Amino acid sequence: MKRVRRTQMTGAALVFTIFVAAIQLYLFETVLGSVLDGQRGLLPGAFAVSAVLTLVALYLAFKAPGLDR
Amino acid sequence: MAHWKDAFPIDLAEESRHSRREFARFLALVSAGFTAGIGYLWARRTPLEGAPESEGGAGHDHAVAICAASDLRPGQSRLFAFRDPHDKCILVRTPHGALKAYRQTCTHLGCAVRWDGARLECPCHVGFFEVEQGFPVQGPPSRPLGGIALEVREDGMVWALGDLPKPNATGSVAALPCPREKGGAA
Repeated sequence: MKRVRRTQMTGAALVFTIFVAAIQLYLFETVLGSVLDGQRGLLPGAFAVSAVLTLVALYLAFKAPGLDR
Repeated sequence: MAHWKDAFPIDLAEESRHSRREFARFLALVSAGFTAGIGYLWARRTPLEGAPESEGGAGHDHAVAICAASDLRPGQSRLFAFRDPHDKCILVRTPHGALKAYRQTCTHLGCAVRWDGARLECPCHVGFFEVEQGFPVQGPPSRPLGGIALEVREDGMVWALGDLPKPNATGSVAALPCPREKGGAA
């Protein structure tokens, strides 16, 4: 029988991932409001920050330490 | 097996297989979606509906003749299209005689605002904007209307020149009294 490997990530990593997603939501809402006000100058910086946060979230989702290692 | 289980064959044992890591991967996917959205806003050449074209203020590339200035008496308004036929704007002459023009798109949910003789009103959710700078003064809208730069030329025609920069909230003018509140107090 094939054994399914389960690596349950730690609670801290999960909470941090949720925190990153919340920051992304706030960042996107802020950027959208600024763009609607005609301020496009912050888009490059916001994109860079958002990309870094996404990389962090991806790292945590795939590489975060598991409980059962 | 009960009938409802046939209709909704959800196996609780299968449902419990969603792990923390799968949830974290979903959140990472959502995060990537926000990044893609910001990237789209950055890459998009044309401005979003209701947004000014640039931060530089009024430009003269899209000047549009609207009407003769003498056609509007204080308290009257006229609709016109600016960038394209779908870019609806409204020209008003204030009770004080000044000419002002704004995008007709409400900054709340995009309904068309209308002129009530003293303020610009969004009828969808009863939002009001003052006419001097387009600031919201009542209702759900939180951002000012997009202003249009105007020029009255020698022949008396009113021209729309371009987008005005959004006014700073700290320079907000005093809100005009709400007609409905005045009516209720009477």
